[in-house]
Amino acid sequence: MNIQKLSALTLAVFFSLSSLLAADYEKVSDKKLFNGEVLSEYKLPNGLKVLFLPRHEAKLLTFQTWFDIGSLDEKMDNKLKKTGLAHLFEHMMFRGTDKYPDGKFDEITSRIGSDKQNATTYFYRTNYYESIPSSQLKKLIELESDRMANLKLDSTLLEKEKGAVVGELRRALDNPGRIAWDELNRTVFQVSPFRYTVIGTEEEIKGFSLEEAQYFYKTFYAPNNATIIVVGDTEESELLPLVVKFYGDMKAQEIPRYKLPEEPTQKKERRAEKTHPQATSDILLVGYRIPSVNSPKIVPLSLLSTHLSTGMESRLRKSLVDTGIAVSAGCGVSNVPDYLEFTVSLSEKHKAEEALQIIDREIQLLKNQVISKDSFERALNQELLSLYGMIQDNSSMANMLGDYLMVSGNYLRGFEIIEEFKKIKPQDLKNTAKEFLNKESRSVVIVRPQPKTTSKG
Amino acid sequence: MLRLGLSFFLVCSLIQAKGKPSFRAEPATENGVPVSPKVFYEKNPSALTAEIGVVILVGSSDDPVDKVGLSNIVGEMVLRGTKKKSRQKFQSELERMGGSLSAVVSHDMIQFSGGVIKENYKKFLVLLEETLLHPAFSEKDFQELKREVLNDIAHVKNSNNRLGGLAARREIFKGTSLERPVIGSKSTVEKITLADVQRRYNNIFDRPKIVFAAAAPFPESEMNMEFSRIWRQFPDGNKPLKRQINLQIPDKPTLIVIDKPKTSTGSLFFAQAGISIQDPDRYTLSTGNFSFGGEPLVSRLFRIIRGELGWTYAIGSSYSSLGGLSNQKGIFSISSTPSVEFTSKTIFKTLEMWKSYQEDGLSGDELDLAKDSLINSYPFEFETAEKRVAKKLSSFIYDVPILSSEEFSQKIGDISNKKLKAALREKQKSNSWLIALVADKEVVAKDLEEFQKDIPKEQRLTISKVYTPEELIN
Repeated sequence: MNIQKLSALTLAVFFSLSSLLAADYEKVSDKKLFNGEVLSEYKLPNGLKVLFLPRHEAKLLTFQTWFDIGSLDEKMDNKLKKTGLAHLFEHMMFRGTDKYPDGKFDEITSRIGSDKQNATTYFYRTNYYESIPSSQLKKLIELESDRMANLKLDSTLLEKEKGAVVGELRRALDNPGRIAWDELNRTVFQVSPFRYTVIGTEEEIKGFSLEEAQYFYKTFYAPNNATIIVVGDTEESELLPLVVKFYGDMKAQEIPRYKLPEEPTQKKERRAEKTHPQATSDILLVGYRIPSVNSPKIVPLSLLSTHLSTGMESRLRKSLVDTGIAVSAGCGVSNVPDYLEFTVSLSEKHKAEEALQIIDREIQLLKNQVISKDSFERALNQELLSLYGMIQDNSSMANMLGDYLMVSGNYLRGFEIIEEFKKIKPQDLKNTAKEFLNKESRSVVIVRPQPKTTSKG
Repeated sequence: MLRLGLSFFLVCSLIQAKGKPSFRAEPATENGVPVSPKVFYEKNPSALTAEIGVVILVGSSDDPVDKVGLSNIVGEMVLRGTKKKSRQKFQSELERMGGSLSAVVSHDMIQFSGGVIKENYKKFLVLLEETLLHPAFSEKDFQELKREVLNDIAHVKNSNNRLGGLAARREIFKGTSLERPVIGSKSTVEKITLADVQRRYNNIFDRPKIVFAAAAPFPESEMNMEFSRIWRQFPDGNKPLKRQINLQIPDKPTLIVIDKPKTSTGSLFFAQAGISIQDPDRYTLSTGNFSFGGEPLVSRLFRIIRGELGWTYAIGSSYSSLGGLSNQKGIFSISSTPSVEFTSKTIFKTLEMWKSYQEDGLSGDELDLAKDSLINSYPFEFETAEKRVAKKLSSFIYDVPILSSEEFSQKIGDISNKKLKAALREKQKSNSWLIALVADKEVVAKDLEEFQKDIPKEQRLTISKVYTPEELIN
């Protein structure tokens, strides 16, 4: 073969490969963000979604894989009907494939310089993440795609990992704040699987079989149930061909979708009380049911929670911490499960009931009078400060996109909420408080120290 | 939402704090007296906020032994109103402009760090100036703060993880200001008066002890000018003293228990003498520690005690138990939270693994992994403008150079197992451990007896002291 022919052939192969690659993914959109950055969305024929935000300040990038599967799904699944496997399975994803046996994934990602590598599981999603030097993108994609397609589930490793997960559960059980939160979910939800903890019970964890793990993997770890998010130093022309090469052959699967049982309308306040041997003072949690994150009502609700709890001038800080009643007090919007949550750690000489009275007083104030222009401006600017700080960090930015995608189906929902803040008025906060912060739609949980036993001797 | 920013300035790991001569911003001097402030700056044109830090180079290790917590209270009180503005008016102005400002105190510095939406940074600096130079120090705010601090101290009893560290400090730094954490204890904080706070402020808020740092989208000259204006208004004073407090570690493994009935895990904290940031072996020891216990997922402790044996969810070792390496020789610690039935097993396995590491160092693969990982992840230490400023700042404060990637690769690349073993032999002990365990003392005693039933009594590990959580916060 002479050189001219070779070149022509090389060019032909190159062009046919280029067109093949171009056909192997679709650019869904380019979205310009408020700070001028452009976020692109792509989709592979097998349903894998890719979000990509280029940033070249440093030769580093964050790579995250989000699966639309969490403990709610496993509880609803007819073959499982338990919780804890989604989380245990997340641990198993680090336990090896034929190509990269147990320990190799961690070893190689560590060797290539990964930072913040880990994974988390929640009610509605599971995510895997790491940041790496951008020169190592190909290796990382190879590793991540390998464990997504070829995980080797082994009963010996499964049993060993159960020990670590039981350790994680026990740590949580020793934490009175965590127990209070579990109890809040059990109280707010009467029928929905939010009642059950993501990590499961010790019995459930120890009882999971290899077959159940295999079923879980085959059913939920499919490309059409996953989104890859990349923020950092790469280009579409490098990233997408690699994603196509390593994920393109994975087959889409039918993913079971479950409709959560509808919660009966709450008509009166619910209360639950517990004691905990490790608690040294009362913990108070209050949850008010609110609409989902896609509702326009979430905008004033979010700002309302900032008004109540962000900064030294926030209402809860002033009325509970500065007065010595509580060690800490906060309030925040929780999406999936949807509630506005108040959390107060009381100081030793004070009782949860005092804090509840003060929360009630603050809510009543919100309902009776429109907050001042200054307070409104304070809340709005604190939100902006928080957002501006967060999006500068690659992994925080990716987290924000991923989490909003999972809770709302719209990865830009976080930015939309911030934009909508600018359209609302102090009066909207008053109206919102009246609509949602009512006793009949709330659940109250108190965890107290165990009474001291007196010696009879 | 979590705010990132300068509050993370001084969270430096062993490998982090190094400086490059070109980064130095030595102040100009006249007859040995500085005539301009030390300012460390990184311009970040795309930033939507300005992140600003002011450091006072004195911390809780300079607190009187019976008033530990004084530096912390001074830091907090500086932000609680000015001579012209009540605390409420000050905070309200600050927060309304989209700013935040907090005091983070460590054993060697008081750090004010904050951020503001970039459009308002000048207004922010005016407030910062006012509060640093003219704090109100009102009796009412002081009493309120004291109550708040005492509540925080009492609340530590809820945290098993923190109690172990507190007990270790109590033993290792007995009779010194480091015996207690930065926040102090009930007995020391109760003794602090407003006059103490005022006196302390007067003694340490002076030109030689103040350093400025910022990452923002503005020209460096503009920021320098602003900081110089503030700095010039402080009085002259003396350079901060560098002090060294000695550690008292027992010769053999010594177990102290913090009695917490009905725990389902044991919270373990092994402590022995660590190193200071200037230690010539710090790169070698930190590289070794990466693969021994420092790095989750791949370290030896993690792989064996969690991965193979399944006794615990978390286990790791660190040279930064005092909140990052500094001039003060610190504590080297191993911490884990095994399920309660595995507590004794975890103690003895950890001691066995340490002995083996201390004698033999790492395998070739383990050492290579640590070196590759540290070298390849080094760029993360310069990832953002805030991190780069933090580098410059700690380089100045601790007088350690920042290494370029090439210099760092060379330094880490030169580490051999022979070098590591020599450093471990010289700087650390094989058997000298204080072990603090937060758990039910009766369960621990029974478990230890059962586990050691085949060992002669005189060789057994027994509980040498029992603390109640209440004693540790007093």
